[in-house]
Amino acid sequence: MDHNIYLIGLNHRSAGVDVRERYALTNVEEFEAGLLELGVREVMALSTCNRVEILVVCSPDITDRNILEYWAKRCGGSVRELEPNTYSHEGLNSVKHLFRVACSLDSMIVGEPQILGQLKESYRKAVEAGAARVIINRMLHKSFFVAKRVRTETSIASSAVSISYAAVELAKKIFGELQGQRAMLIGAGEMAELAATHLLNSGVEQISIANRTYSRAEELGKCMGGKAVPFENLYDHLVETDIIISSTGAPHAVISAKEMRKVIKKRKYRPMFFIDIAVPRDIDPDVNGLDNVYLYDIDDLKDVVEENKSQREDEAIKANSIVEFETLSFGNWINSLDLQPTIVDLFNRSEHVAQQELAKTLKRLGDVDAKTHKALETMAMSIGKKLLHEPVAFLKRRTEEEGKADEFVDLARRMFNLDNETIPADAHCGRKKKNNFED
Amino acid sequence: MTLFELFQYVIIALYLAGTVCFFIGSLKSNKILGKLGNLSAVGGFALHTLDLLLAVTLYKETVLSGGYFYFSLLGWSFILVYFGLWWKLRSTFFALTASPFALLLFIISLASQSLKVTIPAHLAGLFIGLHIGTIFVSIALMAMAAGAGVAFLYLNNKIKTKANLTGMGKEMPSLNTFDNVNHWSIIIGFPLYTLGLAAGFLWARAAFSKMFSWDPKEIVTLVVWFLFAFVFHQRIMMGWRGKKPAILVIIVFVITMISLWGINFFIPTHHSFKV
Repeated sequence: MDHNIYLIGLNHRSAGVDVRERYALTNVEEFEAGLLELGVREVMALSTCNRVEILVVCSPDITDRNILEYWAKRCGGSVRELEPNTYSHEGLNSVKHLFRVACSLDSMIVGEPQILGQLKESYRKAVEAGAARVIINRMLHKSFFVAKRVRTETSIASSAVSISYAAVELAKKIFGELQGQRAMLIGAGEMAELAATHLLNSGVEQISIANRTYSRAEELGKCMGGKAVPFENLYDHLVETDIIISSTGAPHAVISAKEMRKVIKKRKYRPMFFIDIAVPRDIDPDVNGLDNVYLYDIDDLKDVVEENKSQREDEAIKANSIVEFETLSFGNWINSLDLQPTIVDLFNRSEHVAQQELAKTLKRLGDVDAKTHKALETMAMSIGKKLLHEPVAFLKRRTEEEGKADEFVDLARRMFNLDNETIPADAHCGRKKKNNFED
Repeated sequence: MTLFELFQYVIIALYLAGTVCFFIGSLKSNKILGKLGNLSAVGGFALHTLDLLLAVTLYKETVLSGGYFYFSLLGWSFILVYFGLWWKLRSTFFALTASPFALLLFIISLASQSLKVTIPAHLAGLFIGLHIGTIFVSIALMAMAAGAGVAFLYLNNKIKTKANLTGMGKEMPSLNTFDNVNHWSIIIGFPLYTLGLAAGFLWARAAFSKMFSWDPKEIVTLVVWFLFAFVFHQRIMMGWRGKKPAILVIIVFVITMISLWGINFFIPTHHSFKV
């Protein structure tokens, strides 16, 4: 049952965007099929804008170099160009790397959950293509379990680490649910659009757009499903607006504290949240001094994001120790895939069950003499051993068939629950098709 | 130990367990502890209700003149109001106010077995329900509004000063939720308080032949009523929200507590607790 596990890949740290673009896998299914034809036993490839990961289980006569050559050829590049931009892990190091990727410890923004969805999608495709089998199945299920454990036991993903997410989180802290709230975009900067999109996705009821060029506001309104409002009537519309994202290119403030004092009074002091992304700032900082008005500028939001990022780094230390522990546990399972440990485990399990049932029977029988006790014990052990005779002989025969042993040994271990493991229900992906998010 | 005493120890244990679960659950953002806290509070409240019913049924003649009954009933009202808020908001946050108060008041009620309350016999049965019932529920509502007010001021300050929200601050309900709790407590609490006060004055007229007798408790209660009326008016008519009503309700609640502990115990009054 000799096999090697390789994980070869490139990511945002090892390669520049041009290399990542050139060696991204456009048709993952075909790529996997090609590797299977090359003779690998199992393969799963993940390709996102920030990383390409190729996980392979193969016989010892195939090396990571062969995989790299295939990859370079497939993308019309060369190993000489590709190799310096990649990393290669073997054996348990591959397992550890996969777990780190699943937990988002290897992502550009540590703790962002998108990568897990991408990993599940790639795994689903590999299963459908018949490219993922015993070892990759187990590795991926385990990686989902580890990711879940990390999310449950650490607060690695509990704080916003992007400007737009931070803005949405703050809005929720002020208004609670965002359903029914009204937002306004002043100006049409890209980051403001992104923040507005996040707000809309979080349930904001209506968005209006005010821009000095009315046609641009109308265009953006059509695009975002909002309505354009004349820039001149800004304050009138603010009376009905709860969340304002401002990003004009104006050289001075477009919203003054003096006018806002009147607006908030007209609103009967319903809270307002201003997100000022413009530089120079669009909103008079004194606005934050008004009751029930909250103003965050780009630096304030950056501070929130940076602080959250540093908290995430602390949590990543805890997450890494979980990954280490689970990698060792996976190593034990890999080792048990050799036939001998499985036979030993099977007989131990059989003996354990026999002893348990014997104890129950003896308790029910009450006082029995030593001879009867011995006879019952011998009978219980013999039944266990005889029942296992055929399954063990079957496993030995399958071991002699190249490429089949892992599967049957794994099946036997699962049938008899020799690893005493419970795979969480949601670790089994591939039942539902998910969106392919960006990593 | 009588069944009655056993009941009381179990109620204390359940309220204590609830308080601990709510506090640790909020600090550690642990929802399971919040659920356990709720279970303990429900158990404690059920037994507490039974305890009060037994007290009224078994000791009908003496229960209304014992300090035990009043403190116990006030504690019970806190949990009752908390359940109302929980039903509306599905948030255990407000148990942080209700639960320790209920526990404290129940323990005090046990320590107040020897306290005697002067109750004019005249129309006592009718007015006890109306006067005490409405005043106690409105005090419990005031407490919830004050708790929500403190939380509002804390969170408002954090957001205004751009401080990062960590630990409990992160798990707190929104500013809007706290403001809504303030709003509901005031619009329900003030009419109830007014009704309780009116019932009290009518009772005084029947019992003492005059509605107002410059009793210190009556004076402070009127001060509270005026302040409460002011917040009520500003909220409903002027649209006040957020910081101002939060601060005012905290003041109203603090004066009410001073009145309860200071006047009832230490100053000669119709409402005096005597050992």
